[in-house]
Amino acid sequence: MTATTTTTNDLNVAVIVKLEPDFSEGNVSYNADGTLNRAETKSILGPHSAIASNAAFYAKVKYGARVAVGTMGPPIAESALQQAQLLCDADELHLYSDRIFAGADTLATAEVLRAGISKVEGGKVDVVFSGHRASDGETGQTGPQTAWKLGYTFLGNVVDYNVDLESRLVRAKRLISLQGFYDIIEEVEAPLPVFISIDPSYKAFFNTVSQRLAFEKYQKEAKLRAENYKQFLKVLNTQQLGIDPKLVGLPGSPTIVYKVERIPKAKASRKAEVIDGANREQIARVVSNMYEALGGMVIK
Amino acid sequence: MKSSSNYQHLYVVVEHEDGMPVPVSLEMLGEARRLMDGFNKKYSSDEKVVAVVLGHNVRKLCEELIFYGADVVICVDSPELQHMRNLIDTKVISQIARSRELVAKFSNASEFIKPRYMFFAADSIGRHMSSTVLAELESGLASDINKLVISDLEIKHEHKTKGQSMKYEKTLEMYRPDFSGFLWTTILCLDNRNPANEREYHPQACSIIPGVFAQIERDTSRRGAIVEYVPKFDEKDLRVRVLDRKIVKSAVDFDSHKAVVSFGKGVKDSPEQNIKLVAELAKEIEAEVGISLPISKKPFSVSESTNSNYMIPDRVVGTSGRKVAPLLYIAVGISGAMQHIAGMKESGFIVAINPDENSPIKDECDVFIKGRMEDVIPLLLEELRKQRPTIEVKK
Repeated sequence: MTATTTTTNDLNVAVIVKLEPDFSEGNVSYNADGTLNRAETKSILGPHSAIASNAAFYAKVKYGARVAVGTMGPPIAESALQQAQLLCDADELHLYSDRIFAGADTLATAEVLRAGISKVEGGKVDVVFSGHRASDGETGQTGPQTAWKLGYTFLGNVVDYNVDLESRLVRAKRLISLQGFYDIIEEVEAPLPVFISIDPSYKAFFNTVSQRLAFEKYQKEAKLRAENYKQFLKVLNTQQLGIDPKLVGLPGSPTIVYKVERIPKAKASRKAEVIDGANREQIARVVSNMYEALGGMVIK
Repeated sequence: MKSSSNYQHLYVVVEHEDGMPVPVSLEMLGEARRLMDGFNKKYSSDEKVVAVVLGHNVRKLCEELIFYGADVVICVDSPELQHMRNLIDTKVISQIARSRELVAKFSNASEFIKPRYMFFAADSIGRHMSSTVLAELESGLASDINKLVISDLEIKHEHKTKGQSMKYEKTLEMYRPDFSGFLWTTILCLDNRNPANEREYHPQACSIIPGVFAQIERDTSRRGAIVEYVPKFDEKDLRVRVLDRKIVKSAVDFDSHKAVVSFGKGVKDSPEQNIKLVAELAKEIEAEVGISLPISKKPFSVSESTNSNYMIPDRVVGTSGRKVAPLLYIAVGISGAMQHIAGMKESGFIVAINPDENSPIKDECDVFIKGRMEDVIPLLLEELRKQRPTIEVKK
């Protein structure tokens, strides 16, 4: 697929978000065995989706971008769109919703999101944002797979970005962590359109007075819009998205979940001495052991 | 159904920095070696472990990979590939995965279409690379795997088999720990055999958590083939330019501290005060502060400074974060999910503070202090100050 982009100085951005379990205390519920109790746990806009929404808002404040937010899910996923709108003052909200989308793995989800983003602004989206990963599925695969299907340049782990509207170039800083090695900050440049997955450490900064004024203006607007979010909402099904049903949901998913089991308890690797936390004498002995372990010697 | 020789071999996508392999690359090769040795024995076949290396001046690395378990190394050497770039690398890796000519250089390739299995690293590079490569190859991908088994499975699935029971041979069972650390989900990548929508899905691919699998011992007597591949570049595939690369150190430094104090969900009764207590304990023994994975999801509301200082992914100890091995490890209010244990079990002396004697952490520590951290830490602090070494003799 060939990607198209606008030729004017306008900027169109889209954000893909997800409704996820709320892991915050008081909202999350765990079963006795430590696993998530999904029925009792509330849902919210995922924290990484929120960061992606903030990155889109930056484009609105700095470049006056038009912003669309999309999500795939059942009707209840509207609430994620509303919460995202509050963060990024979205001009459009898209819910991709169809029974046949259920059971999708990342590849089948990416197909729906690809079709959805192609519908925004007549397919002329310059920058798409996604979060780093969902806090329930945690694969981090859906963003890059959507990017690939769109034919957009994928930039991952982005901690900072700027767009040159004249030359239609994006400059971004990426944080690359290689386990067992050092971290790297890489600065890259790529022509629009691009797909950016935002690093959890991303923070938007607004330096100039005009940006701060724009920030306040759009924030007020976002609040009003989110209160009336249904006016901005479009719900699209398979047919409206023009999707081949064989590429989405269960039929379009190469992978299945075969089984879910409790991770067996490993054989005890150490024999613990149990100490009564209120017993001062025992605690004193532990402390002495701790200093020993640290390689110090107590000289009395 | 097509014959099984359409899909052959296990391809491992190797990551390196200027020719030095990232540890997970050797770990993947080790696991690939073990799996394929078992596979070839079980199925009386001769399928290969194929390492795929993209880079510039990487000949030496390719030779090393054979010593670490590869039968074949496909080597792509070009200045354009010096630094990993998702777009061009995805194109090149996908070309390689589809190349019958390459396979013909080391085995019978007359029916080859794509690799049978494919491994990537579950790190900032491999996570995205695996996603885009498998989107291009249109097959299934499981992420963050820490156990792998190849077996023949009897499958009955609503869509894949239309509810019938069918045998899937040589299936890669890909185990991934979920976010809680208590559940294991097994992911399979299976052909659609539903008559309504028949489709083959290969390679069966996954990304592998760093630090989980053991590399095999370097053996310079091992022999293998290095196959050069000259990629076809399109000008537009080179449209991302790397302007600058800087090595940075994380603000969190586990390696140069002799002790680590980590906390988990047990701080929940009064998170702000309890995290301060943990920090005070850490300061007293000059320890770095770690956290368990659930804390990085910010489950409590705390002050902005506590939030941005402590409840951050950089501090996670475990398979989803850092592996640490300090002289002293103190686990405060951590129940001991497998994924956390894997990140700290090599520590010298391990102390757990926990009110629940049934917590799994009890089997992984040397001293289990039974009690609430609110009560235990002040007592510990008092004793630590009392017994503070007047002269410290370093080993």
